[in-house]
Amino acid sequence: MGEFILQNLNLVLPLFLLALGYVAGSIAERRHYRSIEMREQELVSLPAVTLKEIQEDDAVTGRLVVGSVVVSIDYFKRALAILRNIFGGRVASYESLVDRARREAILRMKEEAASLGAYIVVNMRIEMSAIGQSANRKKQVGSVEAIAYGTALIKQA
Amino acid sequence: MKFVPKEADGAVNISKTHPLAEMAWLGGGLFLLAALVYLGLTLLTGWIVHHLPVDAEVWIGKEILQQEPGIPSPPLKKRLDALVECLPQGSPLKRYDFSVRLIESDTVNAVALPGGTIVVFSGLLKEVASENELSMILAHELGHFAHRDHLKRLGKGIILGAASWLLFKNSSQPFLFTFVSGLDARYSQSQEEDADMWGLHLLYRRYGHVGGSVDFFARLLKKKRQGRLAYLFASHPHPQKRIERLVAAAREQKYPVKAVEPLGSDIQNLLEDLNRE
Repeated sequence: MGEFILQNLNLVLPLFLLALGYVAGSIAERRHYRSIEMREQELVSLPAVTLKEIQEDDAVTGRLVVGSVVVSIDYFKRALAILRNIFGGRVASYESLVDRARREAILRMKEEAASLGAYIVVNMRIEMSAIGQSANRKKQVGSVEAIAYGTALIKQA
Repeated sequence: MKFVPKEADGAVNISKTHPLAEMAWLGGGLFLLAALVYLGLTLLTGWIVHHLPVDAEVWIGKEILQQEPGIPSPPLKKRLDALVECLPQGSPLKRYDFSVRLIESDTVNAVALPGGTIVVFSGLLKEVASENELSMILAHELGHFAHRDHLKRLGKGIILGAASWLLFKNSSQPFLFTFVSGLDARYSQSQEEDADMWGLHLLYRRYGHVGGSVDFFARLLKKKRQGRLAYLFASHPHPQKRIERLVAAAREQKYPVKAVEPLGSDIQNLLEDLNRE
């Protein structure tokens, strides 16, 4: 058995990584979503909007708030995306990844705003970038970064 | 405008497909595609094999022989020539200029190479006990030439090599070879049986009887008491099965069985030389 594995390492290893990627990736994703949903619920009363300005009667101060996160793909998602690259279509395996990154970035930004005592974040923007551009080429596993930023408005006492 | 806090529904951005289901669809599709390509290439080699000129075969044969040339064996060539003499007029095998080469190895086997070269391993020669047996083995290899099996296998090897190189960037991927040669085992076994039958008919034309046609397999059977299961994925059928089929065919054709001729002195000298080394 051990000999068989050693002889066919270049076949066994990817299969092992595929299984590991699926199991670990699924667990991590499920836990992350649970955490995201819980925190979204907590912060639901602190709105983050894309409006540039809102009408305000009271005196307020504005502060830049930033939240950023880097989420890595796993081996299974990568394999699925490579297969998808052959046939074309929606790369479903990356959709949840991007969704998680975006929501997590907004949450971190809102958490910062909440700690400053803000009551709203205006002019919110989200940017995304790929880290490890050669993700699908050089047997590398890439990551996606999401950064959310906006202006937190804090009522002056 | 009044802001009403509401929980966002993130689910719109995620596809509902289960990743494993997607993997099965995509992976299955790719596998199907690969299978179709393999089938297409097999059909293509089948076509090439039937239309390849003898000159090209000779060239390929030389390329293969460069790796393991062996030595030409005049005593074996004499037996082969006698068999070729017995071929019917207009036989396609007449186009070949046959040669026999001996390679020292314990392998109990003989191989038909492209271009009309038969390679006999010394391990096989040591097992042979009569002229008729030796002729049967050579006639069996001639049967492979008649059915062009020597080229068919080469074609498969090229496809496997190319596929393995593309997939693993490694020309000798043992796993793939074992896997596909396992699939091919049935096909290969039927090739061997066909060559047996072809050899039997030539043996009859040579000697006027088929004595000694199964002696070799009977000895092999006694020596290696392997079960039939071990032969499920082997390239050659179980010796017992080969004997049964040969005996049945000889009975059907009403071929007589007479006493065998002992090995000629030249072969015996050759064997002595081999044993001394």
